[in-house]
Amino acid sequence: MLEIKCPYCGKRSQNEFSYGGDATVKRPTLGEEISTEDWDNFVYFRDNPRGKHTELWHHVSGCRQWFKASRDTATHEIFDTCKMNEAFNE
Amino acid sequence: MQKYSVFSLVKNAFTNHQDWEVAWKDPEPKKEYDVIIIGGGGHGLATAYYLAKEHGITNVAILEKGWIGGGNVGRNTTILRSNYMFDSNAHFYEFGMKLWETLSQELNYNVMYSPRGIINLAHSDAQMNAYARRGNSMRLNGIDAILLGRDEIKQMIPFADFSETCRFPIHGGLMQPRGGTARHDAVAWGYARQADSMGVDIIQNCEVTGFDVNNGKIEGVQTSRGSIKTKKVGLCVAGSTTLLADMLNMRLPIEAHVLQACVSEPVKPLLHQVVTFGAGHFYCSQSDKGEMVMGGDLDGYNSYAQRGNMPMIQHVLTGGLAVFPNFSRLKMLRTWGGIMDMSMDGSPIIDKTHIDGVYLNCGWCYGGFKATPCSGWVFAHTIAQDKVHELNSDFNLERFHTGKIIDEKGVGPKPWIG
Amino acid sequence: MSNAYRTKNSTGLINKNKKINFSFNGHTYHGYEGDTLASALISNGIHLIGRSFKYHRPRGFLGVGVEEPNAMVQLHEGNKSEPNIMATEVELVEGLKAKSQNCWPSVQFDIGEVNNLLNRFFPAGFYYKTFMWPKSFWMKIYEPFIRKAAGMGVAPLQPDPDRYEHNYEHCDVLIVGSGPSGLASALAAAKNGARVILAEDKANFGGSLLTDEVTIGNMSGKEWANDTVAQLKSLPNVIMKKRSQVFGYYDHNMTVMIERVSDHQENPSKYTPRQRLHYIRAGEVIVSTGSIERPISFGNNDRPGILLASAAKEYMKVYETLVGKKPIIFTNNDTAYSTALEFLKNDIVPVILDTRNNSNGELVKEVKQKGINIRFNSGIADTKGHLKIKSAVIGELDKDKENFTSLESIDCDCICMSGGWTPTVHLSSQAGNKLKFNEEIDAFVPDKKRQRESAVGAANGSFTLNQSLAEGFQVGFDLSNKFTDNNIETNTPNSKEPKYEKHERLWCMPLPQGKKPKRFIDFQNDVAVSDVELAIREGFRSIEHVKRYTTLGMAGDQGKTSNLNGLQYVSNIEKKIVPEVGHTTFRPPYTPVTIGAIVGREVGNHYLPTRKSPIHNWHEENNAVFVAAGLWQRPRYYPKESENMNDAVNREAANVRKNVGICDVTTLGKIDIKGPDAPEFLNRVYTNAWLKLPVGKARYGVMLREDGMVFDDGTTSRLSENHFHMTTTTAQAANVLSHLEYYLQVVWPELDVNVLSTTEQWSGIAVAGPKSRELLSKLFPNIDLSNEGLPFMGLVDTNIDGIFTRIYRISFSGELAYEVNVESNFGLHMWKKIMDEGKAFNIEPYGTEALSTLRIEMGHVAGAELDGRAVPFDVGLNGMVSKKKDFIGKRSLSKEAFTSEDRQTIVGLVPLDKRTKIPEGSHIVENDKVASPVPKLGHVSSSCWSVEYNNPFSIAIIKDGKNKIGKNLFAVSPLKDISIPVEVVSSHYVDPDGERVRS
Repeated sequence: MLEIKCPYCGKRSQNEFSYGGDATVKRPTLGEEISTEDWDNFVYFRDNPRGKHTELWHHVSGCRQWFKASRDTATHEIFDTCKMNEAFNE
Repeated sequence: MQKYSVFSLVKNAFTNHQDWEVAWKDPEPKKEYDVIIIGGGGHGLATAYYLAKEHGITNVAILEKGWIGGGNVGRNTTILRSNYMFDSNAHFYEFGMKLWETLSQELNYNVMYSPRGIINLAHSDAQMNAYARRGNSMRLNGIDAILLGRDEIKQMIPFADFSETCRFPIHGGLMQPRGGTARHDAVAWGYARQADSMGVDIIQNCEVTGFDVNNGKIEGVQTSRGSIKTKKVGLCVAGSTTLLADMLNMRLPIEAHVLQACVSEPVKPLLHQVVTFGAGHFYCSQSDKGEMVMGGDLDGYNSYAQRGNMPMIQHVLTGGLAVFPNFSRLKMLRTWGGIMDMSMDGSPIIDKTHIDGVYLNCGWCYGGFKATPCSGWVFAHTIAQDKVHELNSDFNLERFHTGKIIDEKGVGPKPWIG
Repeated sequence: MSNAYRTKNSTGLINKNKKINFSFNGHTYHGYEGDTLASALISNGIHLIGRSFKYHRPRGFLGVGVEEPNAMVQLHEGNKSEPNIMATEVELVEGLKAKSQNCWPSVQFDIGEVNNLLNRFFPAGFYYKTFMWPKSFWMKIYEPFIRKAAGMGVAPLQPDPDRYEHNYEHCDVLIVGSGPSGLASALAAAKNGARVILAEDKANFGGSLLTDEVTIGNMSGKEWANDTVAQLKSLPNVIMKKRSQVFGYYDHNMTVMIERVSDHQENPSKYTPRQRLHYIRAGEVIVSTGSIERPISFGNNDRPGILLASAAKEYMKVYETLVGKKPIIFTNNDTAYSTALEFLKNDIVPVILDTRNNSNGELVKEVKQKGINIRFNSGIADTKGHLKIKSAVIGELDKDKENFTSLESIDCDCICMSGGWTPTVHLSSQAGNKLKFNEEIDAFVPDKKRQRESAVGAANGSFTLNQSLAEGFQVGFDLSNKFTDNNIETNTPNSKEPKYEKHERLWCMPLPQGKKPKRFIDFQNDVAVSDVELAIREGFRSIEHVKRYTTLGMAGDQGKTSNLNGLQYVSNIEKKIVPEVGHTTFRPPYTPVTIGAIVGREVGNHYLPTRKSPIHNWHEENNAVFVAAGLWQRPRYYPKESENMNDAVNREAANVRKNVGICDVTTLGKIDIKGPDAPEFLNRVYTNAWLKLPVGKARYGVMLREDGMVFDDGTTSRLSENHFHMTTTTAQAANVLSHLEYYLQVVWPELDVNVLSTTEQWSGIAVAGPKSRELLSKLFPNIDLSNEGLPFMGLVDTNIDGIFTRIYRISFSGELAYEVNVESNFGLHMWKKIMDEGKAFNIEPYGTEALSTLRIEMGHVAGAELDGRAVPFDVGLNGMVSKKKDFIGKRSLSKEAFTSEDRQTIVGLVPLDKRTKIPEGSHIVENDKVASPVPKLGHVSSSCWSVEYNNPFSIAIIKDGKNKIGKNLFAVSPLKDISIPVEVVSSHYVDPDGERVRS
């Protein structure tokens, strides 16, 4: 069971969180023209690295805040977590 | 090639088994092949076999980074079924079921195909309706399916929870009588042995490190054992697909996730069907060795770790005791994890790519093992003819643009639960 | 012969004053407090315990603890029956019942032993090569036969009567194993102030100190252990756990430990759990798990009475039990000599065989000084004795130790073998430690760690006491310094121990000339040397292939005594060094763990929480039949007297259409939405327009996923300029909240909006039917409920009995209807009030079935239609989709597949005979007579008996639905063998223009 540091609450066990996937995916701006390919890229296509992965977690059984984590997908080591409007300390 | 039979077994017993030949050779890679299959798992080995057998293409190499059969074909819960609702899946997997039925004889290797029946338990009328929809669809597609009531299930599995205190009582279920199991390692080894005998080179400990692409055409691959020329490359590396696709600048609708499984210690035969729980994440069958083979759902975050994780095992077993309360005093013997190629609609991709001569076989999600024969069969066809077969024509990459997605679960482009 | 096999001296660990009776295979025996089932059986002279897996060979004890591969028993009876229990791990309690496994009719005479006579036909992987002909025989004859033979013990058929608990712990330093290095680490870390947990698998702390003749400071090893344990127990920052095995090491330093709480107690209290599972998140983990002795492979080395030398010693030194009186000690190293010395203390003179040419280790010298003849350069070729070892064929080895030069037979009643020691590296390896091969001890030891884990003592390959203590004190102190500023270092005491000479690299004896007895490596799975040879001969060269082909190391003991010997053997054949061969993966659990303990309390009715509305008890009292809606329990219908479900549902639904009905809708998800950007947010979340919704009005909304599929629907109302109340379906309530939070926090953080779940704060009561206005007007005389005063989709706040009440004029049933909302605590009060007032209007409660009937007739879509695969177009929600504004998922709707004529869309169905109800899940076909695969047009999602028209009606989703209206098709359910001719009609069957809701 992972131990995740919520940037708002501190370290908690994984069972308090739910996963939100790739955090680098940026939703296209509302109302803006977008090609089908770019749209489908947003909806269906993902980076899937073996190693460092920037991802979203939701402290769903806690403060209910979404935040970012930088985690190794092979070792599961979490390098850092930060609030949505912050950058990792790297 | 030596023929395996009870007679050869008896004959060899009297020479102390000194005369058995190697099941497959251990060749050095040649400079060039007509086709290179990357990945010595079930799908790669089956593809090579059908290339040789069905299409007469024998100058084929299988490149395996580790040892053959070491990936998901050796890490799954061995379930075979074709109980799908959508036609594209149903026809594909049903073709596979027909291949399974004769696979031991075809490969002269006992893969222990065991059509003992698979039962999906339902715990509400709504679930019974959803299963009826699927079962009717199966029947209309010519696939066996029967709807079972609570009492029929009680007769088949009397030790399941039919008590007053059951949280989600069993209403009934959908059964595919021809569903079942097979011995996973034997499938890999059986295909390997036959492919080898027809001239396919099985090259283990050979990792692909790059591709030679020129003018949109594949010309060869770089490996840890040198470069090898070829005009056709088939990728059969579910679990690592995007790592290789990255080398080809291909972005795919796939994420890697870990699916865990566990087995109990062996006990005398008790459970004679494959059973899935409908009010939680749990499925189970009893192996010929007597172990309860149990699985559930994904760990819930992108991962390339082939290892177990306790909370998910607890979750799976909690579902297990909700169905089979008598399993409480059995002991869990071993847990392990496999890396799933989770596609964004839960269905596979078997297709040509934007690079001439590069073919893709991936996105198997949880369902790769049962697909082994038909996946190999249609992929061999796709590679040999340079065009998709009717059976895999819907499993294209284009569907993520056209919207013709095949979403059996209806959960959308998100592979994890929660 | 009761207890004839006891030692002379007391160890202090067996209480001879407390006799304990137990039975084995129906015979009654006794042992003493402190005995295990194993030691009690051996002290009664019993070595034949069970039969092996494949060949049904008679088997006894190999070990004394968790390493035991052979001595598995079926314990207890009835619902407490437990298969595959290591007799070595069972503490004796009064009345214990055990029996042999995998044998019939008895362990002495087992029919299955025919497999052993035929074992030459059953080499590794034989089943892959045969049973293929004829094809039909596998399923009918071969497989059932194999299955019957498989398995060891028998699973109980009843639920487990016992109780299991979970515990969550945090500590600075977790120490696994209480041998010398573990005790040293614990003492050093604890004295330095760290929060320490010390876990010991056995019933006694001390590990090897209980059996080794050593001195620490001025005490014996055992005294030092007792003293250290006492010190640790007195410290407040230490948790000491006996009978507790840490079996798994997971990510982020999470370990899991199983504690046997009451298995050893005679009459545990009702509330004492049988076992307790501890999740321990440790700052640092010290792995001091010791080492396990290796067997040696020689002909028929599996007979009862052949066991590990260390096990023989522990039986003597802990359990006061003699494994035999005519022992052979067979070793390739010095440590087995301590077992020889222990026999000598009991006036038993063992025959000693040592594969080495000589040794001048201190223990060897001591044995020599006692005038005992040691046969160096010797080994065992074969053994005799069917149910128990009787004699051994021994001989001298040639120069290369590849053949025997001479053979002779000597009598014996036990063989104590030692092939050296293997560090127990399981936990380190599970933690991600890349192991390295240590040639000095010919075994893998931990190397580069991935997590905060440190191995010490024998688990780290440090086999001397000196090293173990030094490592333990040092590592315990160093690691504890990470957590405290005390900097209190505990000095390592001096210690004295015998000096050992090196072992010999020889684990497999040559075969006696002209004979081929099985030389076992993995006892439980019956894997012999010849099987490994065969695997390699057939090209299974990777160690993983060898393991899978032969099943070496895959039994319940997970290869604790066999893995390394297997590796050594593969490396011999392949002429590779062991590190090149590699090792197989160590996977949790270290030993098999009771499934009930892993699950804990979440069994039976507690599998998942049950959610009940505040009105639940009323429903119960009024004869409601409940149905699960996710975790919720909802009234399905309220049968009266002899009514069946159909009668009740039709009555309830008809009463809504005619009079007035009342329905508990508390389970609907509710979300409070506040902030200046709330209207803009809703406008982005829903497919329809929200900016101009007036205050005091509700609106129906549909939300999509980004892939264009309908995600959820519900009504949302505007309470004030910047304050909205959203309702969701019961099923999606939690997901919708997360979805909203995601968009607010991740995608559009610039929007100033807050969302909060209020599902549990409100009780919702639907009052539906033509008489609902009249009824509520009586109850709330001071508000204007007229069509002008509270029009459709309006809302009004009021007060009754001092209770704040919000009334929405919304309808799911298609009738004139209201939804009365009060704070949850007053839900029941309000319900009763409406019921009382409603009597005059013939009010009746209605459940989810009638609710479905009412909405199906109206063509309102619900979960069965919104199955995550429908775009708005499919389910008649086109009108809800704004063409002007953008919203979540809109861009996907323009995909060609979502608008093509092929798309399946919603219609209504009426059977031509107006009688036959169409089962849900049926498919729609044009022609029901064609052969499979039958082209399918779509499926039936919802069915009901229309109370309006008194005939069946269904909703279906079919290809090009709009253009099929008026056509006759077939609804078929091959599962039920029915085909029903149907007419396609509009899905809006009743009141298609929606006049009633606006009346």
